Amino acid sequence: MNVVFKPDETFRDDFTFRNSPEAIRRFPLPFPEDRYMYSVNIEEHLPGPPGSVIEFPIDIDEHYVAECRERALVLAEEPRRFQALPHMMSSQWDCLELIMESLARDYPQHFALERRGSRWVWTNRPLQIHQTFTFGDPATLPQEPLEYITRQAQGDWVVMDQREGDLWCEAGMVTTQADWSLDFDMGMSFKEWHGPVPLAHEMGVFDRALKFLLNLRLNEPVRRLNWTMTIHPRLDTSPENYYKWGPDRATVTPQNAGNKAHLRVELQGLWRLPRSNAIVFSIRAYLISMQELVTVPKWARRVHRVLRDLHPALVDYKGLSRYRDAVVEYLAPFDDGAPTSPGTAPE
Amino acid sequence: MNHADTIVVRVVAIEQVTPQIKHFTLAPAAGGNFPAFSGGSHIIVVMRGVNRIHRNPYSLMSSPGQLETYEVSVRRMEQSRGGSHFMHDQVQVGNELEIAHPVNLFPLDKIARKHLLIAGGIGITPFMAQLADLRTAGVPYELHYATRSPEHCAFGGLLSEREPGRVQKYYDCTGELIDFEGLLSNQPLGTHVYVCGPAPMIEKVVATARERGWPDSHIHWEQFSAPPVGDAFDVYLARSSLKVHVVPDQSLLESIEAAGVEVPYLCRGGVCGFCRTKVVEVDGTLVHNDHFLSDEEKASGKTIMPCVSRARCSKLVLDL
Amino acid sequence: MLITGIKSKPVYAPLQPDLRGRYHLMVGHGVGGEPLLRVLGDLQTAAPSSGAHTQILYVTDAAAADSITGQIRAAKVANVRLFERGDELLAAFQAVLAGSLMGTRLYVAGPESFMGLVMRIALQFNLNKDEIRAEECGTLARRVYCIHCCSATENVRTNITQCGCGRWLVVRDHYSRRLAAYMGVMVDAEAPGELPPVKEVFL
Ligand code: FES
Repeated sequence: MNVVFKPDETFRDDFTFRNSPEAIRRFPLPFPEDRYMYSVNIEEHLPGPPGSVIEFPIDIDEHYVAECRERALVLAEEPRRFQALPHMMSSQWDCLELIMESLARDYPQHFALERRGSRWVWTNRPLQIHQTFTFGDPATLPQEPLEYITRQAQGDWVVMDQREGDLWCEAGMVTTQADWSLDFDMGMSFKEWHGPVPLAHEMGVFDRALKFLLNLRLNEPVRRLNWTMTIHPRLDTSPENYYKWGPDRATVTPQNAGNKAHLRVELQGLWRLPRSNAIVFSIRAYLISMQELVTVPKWARRVHRVLRDLHPALVDYKGLSRYRDAVVEYLAPFDDGAPTSPGTAPE
Repeated sequence: MNHADTIVVRVVAIEQVTPQIKHFTLAPAAGGNFPAFSGGSHIIVVMRGVNRIHRNPYSLMSSPGQLETYEVSVRRMEQSRGGSHFMHDQVQVGNELEIAHPVNLFPLDKIARKHLLIAGGIGITPFMAQLADLRTAGVPYELHYATRSPEHCAFGGLLSEREPGRVQKYYDCTGELIDFEGLLSNQPLGTHVYVCGPAPMIEKVVATARERGWPDSHIHWEQFSAPPVGDAFDVYLARSSLKVHVVPDQSLLESIEAAGVEVPYLCRGGVCGFCRTKVVEVDGTLVHNDHFLSDEEKASGKTIMPCVSRARCSKLVLDL
Repeated sequence: MLITGIKSKPVYAPLQPDLRGRYHLMVGHGVGGEPLLRVLGDLQTAAPSSGAHTQILYVTDAAAADSITGQIRAAKVANVRLFERGDELLAAFQAVLAGSLMGTRLYVAGPESFMGLVMRIALQFNLNKDEIRAEECGTLARRVYCIHCCSATENVRTNITQCGCGRWLVVRDHYSRRLAAYMGVMVDAEAPGELPPVKEVFL
């Protein structure tokens, strides 16, 4: 697929990020029904329909170049957004291989990988990178392998080591997150890491998810969707920079919600890594403004209902308390009460 | 969770490394490289015999850094029910087999401060690949390897060459025994012990380590049971409304599969717990041969691991 | 944002001797001396010869009665070392672990902020939850990591606290064993200047 990039979009300051009509049509709405509650909604990461965000294991879209630049800006200010404990080196190479292989195979017009034994040549045309290196030798790359490759990939990447019947968050590149900190959570077990999530622990969600993931197999990746909301198309809503984006939450009104409030959907993919036996967790954020969302009538009705009836603990956890009502008011005129068809397709 | 995507492999070399062990080198039939893996992984080898299919787990022995071939070693089981005999007697260079993607149920602990590896006989196999990982990891390690005699010491020469000063060999014939007590009493904090070999050796290492105060999270062992031969019996699959006859030298899992019913599995050796199946009714006793269920769970008779366990009864009903 | 009830907050329990251990290393601070003496007594009752394999490292503190220090000094174990400052104990503790063998059990008692620093060192030696027991006593004052400037403030007793970087932080129950600290997040980011009343909560 030939992606036409929009290299000048921004995710800060003047926020010029927009979705093209095609990007809206392929937006991964996470609500198959008019109401939302947690579930262990993990499914096999099998190829989806052509053009969808799950057509390929790792999706590249029109925002690719702009997102990579945004990541570089974050890292320039805060190098700690990439971290890896020393025992994670083999998993870093695993991730590099996974991403390079996928992109080169699925987007040959944009990426190429040539492997001659351990001598690899990587070409990234959109970012104009051409790199020869020795697989397994970190000295032959400008950054550590995981940092190097995730500077050229959309979404956040966390690598979990598996031991003692648990998964440990011990490497990652996290610059586009919904309010959690890699710096703080480094070294945590699966449940410690998810500690701040309300309700789900009591529902046994993490027990079941952990058990499932410990048995994740090579070549059989899985995925799930998660969501929250963000004011402005801001990718970096980290706790580190809360003081920068927190004030935005108090500025939403029913009049400006269409432009300001964005649904933020995370397509989360999980792969068992071969050399390290670790698991990589990719968290890819897709943003859509309410204004863009209501161009699909079914989605306007559905998101209106989901937000209106959301459990109070989730309203708080997702940080919606200050502006949920304004968004619901904005969406209300688009909901005529008509039933919505099952599933998430536009109609 | 069944292996729809097996890899077809060609046998490119067979070597008789000891009187009982044959070593097989496999290459992808379609050319190219095998998938990468980590030391301690096993593959399931699918052998299509004349009127039955064997699926046996074997540890990958080749170096994870070399993916043109995979290597496995197979010990001829005296009381075999087929798999190892098939590998020893039927498989020739040039033959094709199928394998499933590697799975690691015996991984090295990545934050260990030292690795202590203990192998008995054919139990050396998972360590061969782990040693390749350890050589570049920069963490202290040592291997203690017991066999019947130098003649039975598969890969002894290779190990001495690759791991100078790090391997200690012990031969039963000269009365050399591994001093488990001494070994496990004197290890620095943060050591992990790994043992693979005959059941009595594993039991001894686990018991000694526990007795010397090692927590279970630092004790790792792997033992794939071959499904033992037993009496014939009938099994009824309640949800599929099928009756299946299990002959003495075929496992319960194999018999169920032969009837066209799929049961999820990873190890086929009683270790992973994947094949756990609910018992609806049994008019005799279950013969549990797995290492997964606790003694209480075995006694309760509510579930069974069909990859290695069977029943002594005339009628067993499973929730399948 | 969840402030309390977060599952990463450590759970402590009264110290019990672990008779499966071969070596017993007891580390305490101030009022933590009491539980150490109690578990030492229980251990020696259950395993009379264990004293030869037991060591105690202890920080004396004005908060603890002198009699406790006296009893610890007189304990019949292989080695007792008293320190006036926590950091001195931590340095000695690290050296002891470097020479320790598998089979060691660690017993820690004292304020959480002290235990966190002890356990952070234990973590580097790959001691895990099966090898460590911890009993919390004394002040609940917290070590707080400012997520914005990446520095830690010691001895926080209040629900909100001002960090060295000038920001007012709300202290969440989210705890990192690696940093030995709770997470502090700016409290008035969404409405600058709107601070909740300062309350002493970690006493
Ligand atoms: S398949 Fe692993 S226990 Fe049966």
